[in-house]
Amino acid sequence: MELAVQLIVYGILMGLIFSLIALGLSLIFGVMNIVNFAHGEFLMMGMYIAYLLSTYLPMDPLVSLPISALAGYLLGIGSYRLLVHHILRGPMVAQLFGTFGLMLFLRYLAMYIFTPDVRSVKHGILVGKTLSLGWISVDASKVFSAVICLLAFAAIYWMIYRTKLGRALRATSIDAEAAKYMGIDTKGMNSLAWGIGGATVALAGALLAHFYYVTPTVGMLFTLIAFATVALGGFGSIIGAFIAGIIIGLIMVVSGQLVSELKFSFIYIVYFLVVVFRPRGLFGW
Amino acid sequence: MQQFLSDLFSFKDRPRFERIGFFIFLILVLIFPWIVTSAYGRAVMIKFLLFALFGLGWNLIGGYGGQVDLGQAKNVGFGAYATALMIVWWKVPFWITIIPGMIIAAAESFMVAYPMFRLKGHYFAIATLCVALVWKELFIFWDWTGGARGVELPIRSGADFVYMQFNSPIYYHYFVFFLFLLQFFFMNWFRKSKLGYEVQAVRDNEDAAASLGINVYRTKVINYTITGGLGALGGSFMAVYYLYIDPDAVMPLDLSILIAMTVMVGGAGSIWGPLIGAGLLIPLDMYLGAWLGAQKRLGVDFMIYAVIMMVIAAKEPKGIWGIIERVIKRRSTPLLQKGS
Repeated sequence: MELAVQLIVYGILMGLIFSLIALGLSLIFGVMNIVNFAHGEFLMMGMYIAYLLSTYLPMDPLVSLPISALAGYLLGIGSYRLLVHHILRGPMVAQLFGTFGLMLFLRYLAMYIFTPDVRSVKHGILVGKTLSLGWISVDASKVFSAVICLLAFAAIYWMIYRTKLGRALRATSIDAEAAKYMGIDTKGMNSLAWGIGGATVALAGALLAHFYYVTPTVGMLFTLIAFATVALGGFGSIIGAFIAGIIIGLIMVVSGQLVSELKFSFIYIVYFLVVVFRPRGLFGW
Repeated sequence: MQQFLSDLFSFKDRPRFERIGFFIFLILVLIFPWIVTSAYGRAVMIKFLLFALFGLGWNLIGGYGGQVDLGQAKNVGFGAYATALMIVWWKVPFWITIIPGMIIAAAESFMVAYPMFRLKGHYFAIATLCVALVWKELFIFWDWTGGARGVELPIRSGADFVYMQFNSPIYYHYFVFFLFLLQFFFMNWFRKSKLGYEVQAVRDNEDAAASLGINVYRTKVINYTITGGLGALGGSFMAVYYLYIDPDAVMPLDLSILIAMTVMVGGAGSIWGPLIGAGLLIPLDMYLGAWLGAQKRLGVDFMIYAVIMMVIAAKEPKGIWGIIERVIKRRSTPLLQKGS
């Protein structure tokens, strides 16, 4: 019983991070129908920024949160302007390989700069601390990350559904052609979607670095988890990404407890089953 | 029968410069081990032929079929494991182990293809990736496959034509060249066969193909099944060439990506594409990778790959072969038409 509650709490906390990771992917897909294979690499960059700041500048990794988010925003916009904009007109295969190339480039750039060594953030206010609530004890950093994820989600939700900019973004995602005729700068909206996508995922990376190791190849796994999350929640749905993230977190923690060697296989299988049997996911349209 | 043979070996429908080019290529590969005597150079050549073999198989689904499959490594793994385990357990001759390897890979592909071809585009690509990764985790998890430790083949001395194990790379060179030619002529037959035309019609326009009476779903499933079987052939070769296999060597994600990338860079959907792509990327990988690795510059070779890939995706989705074809066409167009 204790174990079960502990697992569920862990699952939900991990799940909230998965939700934040998946948010950007879902947003980019919703606005312009393109899948970003380099998503996990944006996350990795956020993780390395947190690692660098806490190791070389003796600063708390918490300081890196806004810096990572800003770097992610710039990386997202840069990727859109320099690469994605040029592959949009090409066939689907070219789009796929374009972002795939971006993924390889960022991954091996990190390999070149940081070597394949496994690193982790060692110092920080929250690193290694645990909170106990009765007989449940959880990492303080995971609780904090979950709170930040909730706040980030609320902020993005407010931006998309309550502001004029958000309305323009939604209009672009529903019908880009029509939105253009209404005077919406659709290219700017695409660029903004990549910026927000990059910022949220890099923020998630800086949070994740508190309790997860960093290597140049860490990105692929999280890209796949994000794909599974987005597929389950429904491509393009923000609420869907939120709820699906928690479900995926629970699946991973529970299956990891049962057969730890195959815990990621369960996530891949979830993706497969969802896209085959319910392609619009839980909340897609 | 005569028609079949001529379809197999004839390149009459291709322009003359292509036929001459291919003939020169064959001669060069035939005499290669007698010109290049360094062990490394020969190893590069064998790896090039191996990846050209993989590329030819992947071209079926990725080039002619237009479906991006990022999980070809699982089929390579099936072939490699079938060969290695059958030789270790029952001492089955190599040539017989090829067949179950290909059948297992094809059967698995068929079963997976059935639900998977309800998907298109990105969804399909990610699904293939997921399936390959699940298989890899299973092969690491299971005991009977040797788990993460892998399988080691018994070493035999001299030249053994039953188990295809040799001391000299010259034998391996002609061995893989033979497999390559088998598959190359099969592909040459395939692209002119009824199924080949159906597959290409489905790629170009599914609705139009369906309206002509082609069963789109069935065509895709058959195509994917054949691709799976062909992938296993190269895997069987890897088992007897490296004499040691584990899931990280024969079924990693990087292998799937490299196979797809060689074809995309060379030119998907052309019979020469895999040759050009493998001919560019494999030497680049082996020489540049070795040189940069010696200087402790890990990853630079893959960064160069990535840049090539992004430029190809943005500028010329038909790959290097697309560029060559355009240059030739411009040259051979009569002057009168040039202005129009």
